[in-house]
Amino acid sequence: MNIALAGNPNTGKTSLFNILTGSYEYVGNWTGVTVEKKVGVLKNKVGRLIDLPGIYSLNPLSRDEGVATQFLLSEDFSLILNIVDAAQIERNLYLTIQLLEYGRPMVIGLNMIDVAKSRGFQIDAKNLSKRLLGSPIVPIVARTGKGCDQLAANFQAMKERKVEPLFIDYGPELEQAVGTLIERLNHVELPSKRWMALQFFEGNSLVRELLQKHIASSELTALFEQTEQQVISGKTGIKNLQQHIRSVRGDVIRAILSDCLTRTKEVEYTFSETVDQIVTNKYLGIPIFLLFMFLIFKFTFDWVGTPLSDLLDAFFSGPLTEWLTQALVAVGASDFIQAVLLNGIVAGVGGVLVFVPQIFMLFFLISFIEDSGYMARVAMVMDKLMEMIGLNGKAFIPMIIGFGCNVPGVMAARTIEQPKERLLTIILTPLMSCSARLSVYSLFVGAFFTQHQALIVLSLYLLGIVVALGLAKIFSSTLLKQSSSMFVVELPPYRFPQWRTLMRSTWEKGKGFIRKAGTFIFGGSVVIWFLSYAGPGGLNVDMNNSYLAMIGGLIAPLFAPLGFGTWQAGAALLTGFLAKEVVVSTMNIIYVAPDLATLQGTMANFYSPLSAYSFMVFLLLYVPCLATVAVIKKETASARWTWFSIGYALMIAYLIALMIYWGGKFLGFQ
Amino acid sequence: MVLSEMKQGSIVKILNTDRVSEIVRRRLIDLGMMEGATIRIKRILPFGGPFAVEICGQWIGIRRCEAKSIEVEWAS
Ligand SMILES: Nc1nc2c(ncn2[C@@H]2O[C@H](COP(=O)(O)OP(=O)(O)OP(=O)(O)O)[C@@H](O)[C@H]2O)c(=O)[nH]1
Ligand SMILES: [Mg+2]
Repeated sequence: MNIALAGNPNTGKTSLFNILTGSYEYVGNWTGVTVEKKVGVLKNKVGRLIDLPGIYSLNPLSRDEGVATQFLLSEDFSLILNIVDAAQIERNLYLTIQLLEYGRPMVIGLNMIDVAKSRGFQIDAKNLSKRLLGSPIVPIVARTGKGCDQLAANFQAMKERKVEPLFIDYGPELEQAVGTLIERLNHVELPSKRWMALQFFEGNSLVRELLQKHIASSELTALFEQTEQQVISGKTGIKNLQQHIRSVRGDVIRAILSDCLTRTKEVEYTFSETVDQIVTNKYLGIPIFLLFMFLIFKFTFDWVGTPLSDLLDAFFSGPLTEWLTQALVAVGASDFIQAVLLNGIVAGVGGVLVFVPQIFMLFFLISFIEDSGYMARVAMVMDKLMEMIGLNGKAFIPMIIGFGCNVPGVMAARTIEQPKERLLTIILTPLMSCSARLSVYSLFVGAFFTQHQALIVLSLYLLGIVVALGLAKIFSSTLLKQSSSMFVVELPPYRFPQWRTLMRSTWEKGKGFIRKAGTFIFGGSVVIWFLSYAGPGGLNVDMNNSYLAMIGGLIAPLFAPLGFGTWQAGAALLTGFLAKEVVVSTMNIIYVAPDLATLQGTMANFYSPLSAYSFMVFLLLYVPCLATVAVIKKETASARWTWFSIGYALMIAYLIALMIYWGGKFLGFQ
Repeated sequence: MVLSEMKQGSIVKILNTDRVSEIVRRRLIDLGMMEGATIRIKRILPFGGPFAVEICGQWIGIRRCEAKSIEVEWAS
């Protein structure tokens, strides 16, 4: 049995999904967290649950809504699990009603009961269930899991129930037209024809496409216009069919609620309001955002992350290496094996794993922001600025997510309604400095900028944002001219994130980093080590005569103007395309350093602080990593835009690193 | 009167949204912000930035240019 989880955005669908299936999907407090369908097996084993992006109606406006609607219209499932936000019940029921008109069996989870209660909403679930075709309704709190088991207990029985679609009378004119359309579809096999007809008159573009397979477009248009004329003539305040249908449904919903909903008190939303007075303050909005960013770096670098990383490094380079060496000697491993393990794998993989604490710290703070409700406020505070450069405030959300990892950032652009704004966001999000790049900065700032670590790294993050915004302006006024930009954002109430959710999302995000270390950084390290060990002269050659030196040396002259024309830098940047943290592995292997401090010491011979900065800038901008390129390809469905996103990045990286290096020299920096 | 002329804290009723672009109007309707609805202006961001309004306990951010095309009257 397949159960489709549908409901308005940000109503707790994924929270419920996680509880019912034991998964750890992405939860956050803004609309449009889930942008893809996710499948999980129910814990009580009665079937599979499919988590869908949130929708307001069955007429999609953005790409993520398209995913959900397409699923509901064309995939095979036996039950809809509709999540209704009890605190926003009136708005949520519009979707519920349309799903009931569709005529599939349904179970309703009345979520956020805790919030509804605190706002003085009392809902009579039994009575409400009666008014909604007897669909079982269970009050739940998906955040804590309260009531979720009772909800799941209803699935099995409900599946067997045969249900009739909900019938609402839309008035004689529209009913007659619906009748005509159903008549015209007499000969074709379609489920829920009445529902289709109603959706067509409501202006649903997906349904219209479906109908056009059977009825000529001109005939549909004629029928639509004629009906609209008839329906709106004689009614005041109704200007089109959509409005008429919406208002009939609204009346039905209000009638239902007048029976089932009692408001015990009127509550002002004081907490959110107070917070908003500060974070969306007239003058302080943007500075506060920057302050938050700065604090994030302070935490990741100075206060928590780096001290922990140092401990880990001490462990890897001290006891771990010692034990390994002893063990290898004891079993009589050959010099070659010892070298692969110690100089290849421990140096390469260990060199990256050292940064796990910093990266988890960053993910933890990003998760906090995601689950607090601040995300939508950032979108609003930034909208004016974003409008000037041809984007909208919502494009900032993928960018913030991109600070963690560019892949989900690119995906998050699905919630942007305008196709051109979405495309622009997709190709610019990779400029956001992700956590993998963070490991490279850590290495370099530790070597060259011990005094101002957080500040230097913050400057790189800001550079990424500034370059992205500058390019947005250029692209949106040349390649991607906008027809019309749009921005409407829901501002959810602030919630204090739960520890459990925070821990889980931190782990879910950070897990990928560790997995990469175990897989392709591991493999990459072995290959890189081998290339540095072998050369035209045979095995165990001097590293400067190795294959790696030859390959790196080929492109090194290109980087000479940027201040780092060594074969080592060339080789590191080449491998960095796989994943940016591989740069760290490569450097560990190339400079044969037993620990972080020695490595940083050795690097001082090859870079000046200025060329190190120039290197970091180049690394920040040069090309999206392999995984990001793949997701760009998938999301844009265009090889041309994918190549474009690689090409422009290379060019802009070169140009800016060049400017910084020579500009810095000119100003007398070293 | 149009929404953008109103002060923070005013409570108004929407009269007409015809001049709002189609795509934005659809989204506003999804959120219940349509003709006849009563809204309260919560925050107005500076430098021509967005408006935050409350409707049935839901807060929504919209652009000022849209607020300029929404006709309103004082809610009684
Ligand atoms: N107070 C309270 N908060 C909840 C409840 N259920 C979910 N939340 C919070 O609501 C927010 C949204 O939860 P999600 O599960 O991501 O919502 P969603 O419906 O999947 O959202 P989209 O994927 O954007 O459509 C999160 O911050 C949750 O912690 C609940 O019952 N009570
Ligand atoms: Mg979700």
